[in-house]
Amino acid sequence: MVGNRWARDHNCPMAPADPSLVLAAVGAPVVAGLATLLIPRAQNLARVLLAACGPAASLLLLGVHLTRYGVAPNHAGTTAIDWVPSLHLDLSFLVDGLGAFFALLAAGVGVLIVFYSRGYFGNDASSLARFFPVLGFFTSSMLGVFLADHLLLTALFWELTSISSFLLIGWERDDETAVKRAMQAFFTTGFGGLALLGGVLLLGDTTGVWRWSDLVATASEIGSSGTVVAAFVLIFVGAASKSAQWPLHYWLPGAMLAPTPVSAFLHSATMVKAGVFLLGRLLPVFGLLTIWLPLVVGFGAVTMLLGAGLALRQEKLKLIFAYLTVSQLGLFVCMYGFGGATDGHSRSAIDWDLSQIASHGLYKAPLFLIAGALAHRLGTRRLPELFGLWHRGVSGSRVLVVVLLAASYALAGGPGTVSFVAKELFLGAAHHAAASHPALLVVVVMAVLAAACNVAIVVRLVATVFGWRLGVRDEDLDLSGQDVAHDKDRWSPALWVPAAGLVLVQYIGGLLPPVWNSVFRRLEVNVNDEAFVDGLPWLWEPFLHPGAPLAMSLAAIGLGVALGCSQRMRGDIDDVHDRIYPVTYRLILQYGHRAFHGIQTGHLRHYLVFVFALLLLGISWAAWIDPAMLRLPDGVAPFESLTGLLLGAVVCAAAIALPLVTERVVRVLVLGASGFAVVGLYLLYQAIDLALTQLMFEIISVLLFLLVLRLLPRLDRRPLIGRKPRLALAALVGITIGWMTLLAGHAADQRTNESVTLGAFFEEHSLHGTEVTDGRGGEGRNIVNVILVDFRGFDTLGEITVLATAALGVWSMLPGRRRHRNDEGQPGTIAAEVER
Amino acid sequence: MRIDSLILRTAVRLVLPLTVLLAIYAALNGHNAPGGGFIAGLVTTVGLCTYRMAFGQRAFHRLFPVHPRWLVVAGLGLTLVVAIIPLLAGEPLLRSASTVLRLGGQELHLVSATVFDLGVLVVVVGVAVGMITRLGEELGP
Repeated sequence: MVGNRWARDHNCPMAPADPSLVLAAVGAPVVAGLATLLIPRAQNLARVLLAACGPAASLLLLGVHLTRYGVAPNHAGTTAIDWVPSLHLDLSFLVDGLGAFFALLAAGVGVLIVFYSRGYFGNDASSLARFFPVLGFFTSSMLGVFLADHLLLTALFWELTSISSFLLIGWERDDETAVKRAMQAFFTTGFGGLALLGGVLLLGDTTGVWRWSDLVATASEIGSSGTVVAAFVLIFVGAASKSAQWPLHYWLPGAMLAPTPVSAFLHSATMVKAGVFLLGRLLPVFGLLTIWLPLVVGFGAVTMLLGAGLALRQEKLKLIFAYLTVSQLGLFVCMYGFGGATDGHSRSAIDWDLSQIASHGLYKAPLFLIAGALAHRLGTRRLPELFGLWHRGVSGSRVLVVVLLAASYALAGGPGTVSFVAKELFLGAAHHAAASHPALLVVVVMAVLAAACNVAIVVRLVATVFGWRLGVRDEDLDLSGQDVAHDKDRWSPALWVPAAGLVLVQYIGGLLPPVWNSVFRRLEVNVNDEAFVDGLPWLWEPFLHPGAPLAMSLAAIGLGVALGCSQRMRGDIDDVHDRIYPVTYRLILQYGHRAFHGIQTGHLRHYLVFVFALLLLGISWAAWIDPAMLRLPDGVAPFESLTGLLLGAVVCAAAIALPLVTERVVRVLVLGASGFAVVGLYLLYQAIDLALTQLMFEIISVLLFLLVLRLLPRLDRRPLIGRKPRLALAALVGITIGWMTLLAGHAADQRTNESVTLGAFFEEHSLHGTEVTDGRGGEGRNIVNVILVDFRGFDTLGEITVLATAALGVWSMLPGRRRHRNDEGQPGTIAAEVER
Repeated sequence: MRIDSLILRTAVRLVLPLTVLLAIYAALNGHNAPGGGFIAGLVTTVGLCTYRMAFGQRAFHRLFPVHPRWLVVAGLGLTLVVAIIPLLAGEPLLRSASTVLRLGGQELHLVSATVFDLGVLVVVVGVAVGMITRLGEELGP
């Protein structure tokens, strides 16, 4: 029944959905998070409740949006709120099944995380006060990624998640390792973010379409040109780095140093799912590209198996779960990869992808939460130290163990959970895709092996907790773990209640599939073929109709139990990929250092040579393109007046004398002579403003030179560059600049066929406008000034900004001697100002 | 660095106010006659420079008790405000407005670009004074 209702929405043209409602939903967590800063320090209850209001409000607003406008088809975004039209950027959102599902998941888990963090951080007001704003910032960015319709908006929120997750992962800011890991995560995902931005820009620029919904609507016209493929690959790199795909997966286990609420939130429900989400967005657009299947399935499958294998070889609970997350992310990527597989008539080999992802969040978040709670109660996260935990009788640990085992059962994909059916669906999809692409059989085998690893881990976990010595050698046992006392208050159930709630949904969905289906059928409409699966089946249905997926499941379980009980594949190993980031980092520093010293010699002469050489190169390039630059313009009369000639001779003589003089003071004076001669030239040609400016400038520069002369170091006589090359460069630069000046001066008088000359234009419009300028003039008689403040006002604005920046440079680089150290108690002096 | 000369000191005392007057005149009148904010700023700077040379660093501080960065801030702020105001009215950045004011029998032609020019003047003076004093600190009183 419900399905019909949504199907109707799907077909009918809907009222354009409301972007401001979604915007409010996206903004609510960060607003609530920041608002908690206003709460007095002792009021932790109010703080927690207010922080929880943020994601709760998002849930509510999204719910209102969904009931009012329905789940949008993925080609119908909201109307746009203009933001930066010149960048094609607007605030438009897409609340389709995919986006709505991820947003609801993030907001829902976000509420639980707020309460859990109260249990985790205890009554520590300063931690909580710092935590909630950042958490709100992160939640908002995540919601933005999931709901954005605009390509650039997605990239923007994507970067915001990188930044906010950096703050969360590096939570222990005094712990050097934690900060390093946070930077590792930031640079890795940030690198991906750059790739995403590049891909998005390339895509938008090529297609001229800037919204996901429009891209989906015009997917058939997108073609498979080189640029489109390049754009797709770049976006995929972004998605893969965020979703920890091999070989960039190392950041995710590295980020496990974060507090547990953060790990649970980032790594099970939100951040790492962003890449998977993006693939879901990309599938309808790029799914038909031939590169889709090998690229996406390839990286996904390698990650899936590698993550599972590495998880088996870890001892710390959080690390085990982290590598399992990596593996599971590989599985999701693989799943969307299958979406590109065609079997002739039906386009896609997947469906009910959102149930897969939801199922993962519903057992992985509880596992993280319980791992953190155990660490809180027992002071350990290492598996061997948990040996026989059930029998130890630590107060309050049994309920944790029960939730842990319930979640582990789902992790193993045991029948009766959503996870079981989800795994069946995935294996079915793999099998289905392999039917048309035999090479995918390898992936099927990898999937079975990965599933076996999951089962093996659960077997070991159960054995450890109950103290069964299944394949455990005595030397691996560690019974020295001390139970730590912990503070118990009415908030301590917050450590396990959120986890238990999430796990419960797993079992409800697994045992009562119609409940699950009624919720998810509305959301799943987005992804591809409704025909593939009608909904999650009842528990017994796979057993009634046994097929390849069931056989594979059973094989995985058998293999997993055997592996779990064996002595093989035990112990702690390091992931070789952990060295990728440190090595890259070191290499960059090393070569960057070398390059820096190669370029920044510290000698002004070298810099001048660089600058002049570049200038000459640029001008020769321009002359090569436009050879007319090399011709002497018509109408140039070199010997117009005798006075001008004389003044010119003075300028030239001063310039030539300059390098021959050795004394600095004399040089300054000679330079001044040259400048004053130029003033004379300006006067001769009646450019009074220029003459005035030049005059003042000459006076000031001579004065300033005289001021600083004493500060300059002794003249370095060693020639860094030979005399002849210097002479050649100087002559070349001099002649080029002179020539360019001649051309520029002439250009102002040049008359093209239609317009008046530049000089005449300014002359005409300086006071009153004509129709050429829409009747607007400069309202002034002084052409030079009108050009400065009106026609070229923007240039002037830029110039004074440069001037101010130069002054900042002087203030900061010449820090002042502070000689007059307030000896007269004058608060107004600069020295005193600087002192403060 | 200071040139200890009675003649210079006396001359500067006389010349500095005139210089400032000239600068203000040049700035306000610059739209229609030779002058303008930039030139006025430079004129002021020359005056202050000579004052610094004649009287030394301490006296310069007394003459100029605010940190020059506030001048730069004020000047840049003024130009930015003048530049942005037209945006609020839906006009392009920096579009100037003009009006004719009648005072008695006199007509006064006011252009918003003059305010912009005053901002330029203030920035130039601030930057130049900042550089002179900072360099002067290096050189001693």
